[in-house]
Amino acid sequence: MLEDRMWMREMLDDDGPLGMDGAPGEAAVGAALRAVRTRLARALGRVRRPLARAGVIDSPVGRLLVAESAHGLLAVRFLDSPDAPGALTALRERFDLVEDTRAAARIRREIERYLDGDMHALDRPVDLSLVRSGFQRRALMRLRRAVPPGSVITYQALAAAVGAPSGQRAIGNTMASNPVPLYVPCHRVIRSDNTIGNYGGGVARKIRLLRAEGFSLSRDHRLPAGSVMGHLGTHIFCRPRCPAAMRANRAKTVIFADSGRARGAGLRACKLCRPV
Amino acid sequence: MDPLAKLTLPPPFEEALSRHEREIMRFLLRMTRDRDDALDLFQETWLRAYRAYPQLDSEQGLRPWLYRIATNLCRNRARDNSRRARVISNGDGPGDGDHRLASAAGGGGQEDTLHLRRAIAGLPHKQGQALVLRKFAGLEYEEIGVALDCSAESARASVYQALKKLKAMR
Repeated sequence: MLEDRMWMREMLDDDGPLGMDGAPGEAAVGAALRAVRTRLARALGRVRRPLARAGVIDSPVGRLLVAESAHGLLAVRFLDSPDAPGALTALRERFDLVEDTRAAARIRREIERYLDGDMHALDRPVDLSLVRSGFQRRALMRLRRAVPPGSVITYQALAAAVGAPSGQRAIGNTMASNPVPLYVPCHRVIRSDNTIGNYGGGVARKIRLLRAEGFSLSRDHRLPAGSVMGHLGTHIFCRPRCPAAMRANRAKTVIFADSGRARGAGLRACKLCRPV
Repeated sequence: MDPLAKLTLPPPFEEALSRHEREIMRFLLRMTRDRDDALDLFQETWLRAYRAYPQLDSEQGLRPWLYRIATNLCRNRARDNSRRARVISNGDGPGDGDHRLASAAGGGGQEDTLHLRRAIAGLPHKQGQALVLRKFAGLEYEEIGVALDCSAESARASVYQALKKLKAMR
């Protein structure tokens, strides 16, 4: 038989939670917490993920989730993309995020300066530890190093450049999962038929970025007629149909918007086809 | 605007810890009635919470999740204890585990709480758990549903059934 005490009646007759009658004293709870805190902190310290500073910014190319580690920029994700929640989870699985609005604002200003024409505004180090494979990391680093603003490369040529001549599919996937777009310029990778191809943040953004870098794209999203082929080994640039350009090693060939951009990147004009 | 564009950053784990540590400790002390065990389970609960934190969508999801982990750990411990007790007593006597669960019904070991504890121990497992989470931890039915891996309706029904049985004993 249960005795009909006050608190028991409350428990049996009322739908809500009980009062504090049955609870351990607050002093006991506090003492237990004090006893366990140091031990818990030590145990957590052993499994701790590294820290990353993160924030959400409104940039000229849309709302972005950005994050940086001690080694460099980790993530730039378009928040209107359907895989944004998954990207946030992937980031949190590897790093403990601390919101840092100042660090985020610095990144926003860099992107603004870049779209205003400062082509070196995005030169800070990147941390590619969210990238899954060594091949993908190599491809992204190669792209970043070898394809300057004002130039593009084909999926095929980039594949050849990282030693996988028939790997344009893998390059496409690598670009699609690039965790740091803009900073690792996956918008500078195009199809071999000179159309610009897809973009993780949407084709409209790819067009906008390429225009900011000096490309005047045709209505069917092809490269401009005046674009020239640049060879990064010989530092010579040619008209697209120059026999020398046709013979050249694809892996070292990038496409510049025009001769001016190629000269700006330190290349000289081919004496055979004489691009203007 | 696209709803995904409203994605926000979750609070740091430490914030979640400091917000919920007190109630989890209170819950574990009540469930185990053994300070050392409560401290061990507290540490284990939060270590698991840390590991799972990246997968938790929001801070709202954390609280019932914590109770679910704490409840499971208490159950495992009760099972281990009762197995140990059985080995010692060679299969005689009631399972200690049931007392452990019932011991959640707090109080200072007076007669009435002892009755109540026995009564809760006599309930089907899920009903007893739901009752404890509702009455002693003060969770909402949605949260109990998450903690016990069932729907909010089912959680409400379990608490209702438990109360009905206890009232019949009164």
